[in-house]
Amino acid sequence: MANILIVEDDKDLNNAYSIILSSQDHTVESAFDGQEALDKLKTFKPDLILLDLLMPIMGGLEFLQHFDLKTHPAVKVLIFTNMENSPEVAESYKLGAHRCIIKSWTAPHNLARVINEALESNSVQAAV
Amino acid sequence: MAINKDTAIVQAEEQRAQAEALFNSIGEGAIATDEFGRITRINPIALSILGYKESELLGEWFPKKIVALNEQDVAINLIDRPITKAFLSGRSVTEKVFYRKRDGQKLPVMLTVSPILLADRPIGAIEVFRDITLEEEIDRMKSEFISLASHQLRTPLSAIKTYSHMLVDGYMGDVTTAQKKSLRTIIGATNRMNELISTLLNITRIESGTIVINARMLRIDRAAEEVIKELNLAASEKNITLSLTQSGKLATSVKTDNLILKEIISNLISNAIKYTTEGGAVDVIVRGRNKDVLVTVADNGWGIPKDAHDQVFSKFFRAQNTVKRETTGTGLGLYLVKGLLERLNGNIWFESEEGKGTTFFFTLPKEQRLRNN
Repeated sequence: MANILIVEDDKDLNNAYSIILSSQDHTVESAFDGQEALDKLKTFKPDLILLDLLMPIMGGLEFLQHFDLKTHPAVKVLIFTNMENSPEVAESYKLGAHRCIIKSWTAPHNLARVINEALESNSVQAAV
Repeated sequence: MAINKDTAIVQAEEQRAQAEALFNSIGEGAIATDEFGRITRINPIALSILGYKESELLGEWFPKKIVALNEQDVAINLIDRPITKAFLSGRSVTEKVFYRKRDGQKLPVMLTVSPILLADRPIGAIEVFRDITLEEEIDRMKSEFISLASHQLRTPLSAIKTYSHMLVDGYMGDVTTAQKKSLRTIIGATNRMNELISTLLNITRIESGTIVINARMLRIDRAAEEVIKELNLAASEKNITLSLTQSGKLATSVKTDNLILKEIISNLISNAIKYTTEGGAVDVIVRGRNKDVLVTVADNGWGIPKDAHDQVFSKFFRAQNTVKRETTGTGLGLYLVKGLLERLNGNIWFESEEGKGTTFFFTLPKEQRLRNN
């Protein structure tokens, strides 16, 4: 299965996503802000990053500015936020985010499905 | 005769002085023009707002001297200027525009311009306007506050919903049927709270013009499918059959905003579920057409009384036959749906008969350009 990095400052939610995705046989690493995520990326090579936008120390947008997706075309970033239709979400798309999911609307089984769809689109691109 | 003439002159002078005093004491900027739009009078507040001296404006052609701009910083054409519209229509015109001050600064103003009519012919106009910079700043702060408050409210809700789902789905071990039922009640309540927060947030953004559109090509039937998956639980609790059909052979793809589209579909389906009796049916049909995609949400529920049809999309409106039976509605859902569809260049309408059911129709154009403000 895939390597997934969860970047979410809320410990309860980070833990929940970790349980859900691990149960689907993904290899999961957790970071609690953008800076910690950048540090993890030195050793962990994810296929997908689940990224919150509002976080202390370094938020999601600043993380995307540092982790240039153009130089990591195989990595899909799913924005996981509660700020729908906001300028921040628009900016994340400009920075290469694959899709935005609203946390409070998304049940675990739907999260797992969206992640699998994103990973499948990865493999299609790789095959092309 | 001489006395009468003198009296008439005195009276005219008195009236002129009164008009002058009245004009100068208006608490907002005021500019008077003749029938050609040349400035004949300007009060001190208007001079202060625009940064001009009286001598620089008197006798000048108003539309040329005071440049009006739109939201995109483009000068408004003469034919579209409020004063022109007032002259042409013979009626008062109220609009928000931006004026260019003497120092070049752009200033938002709310204005009302009225033609002065003599025997139905305009002989001049009076424009009253006020600087709304502060009002706009307060609006922006209000939107930011609601946005932040909504985000803060949603974070704990996300945890409650996620863990409740995890318990139901058995991530933490087996749960009894009774426990599952209680957990579903918690999930249902968090969903309602989420809907309310979304509605308030989106209404604030629509009304303040700050809603952001992230347009991309997407299939409406797929968006509808995702919404239905989220709402299946609510439907099954009332034993309501929820179906999705893709009708016709034409594509259902449009360039639009995924989240806003799902908000629209979700509101319509939630309403249909809410206002349909147990055991009923809600059918969603997505049909690709030549120039647009038509979505139909049909229920066999309580229907909307005929005398309420005109008010269905009004803010806070709830039909009498629903208020008595269903207390959780806010009367904001359809107002929001209409506002969101207008933002996406779509249309909405409905057919309904009390006791038989309601069908909502909406369309989104296949080719369009969506711009953020």
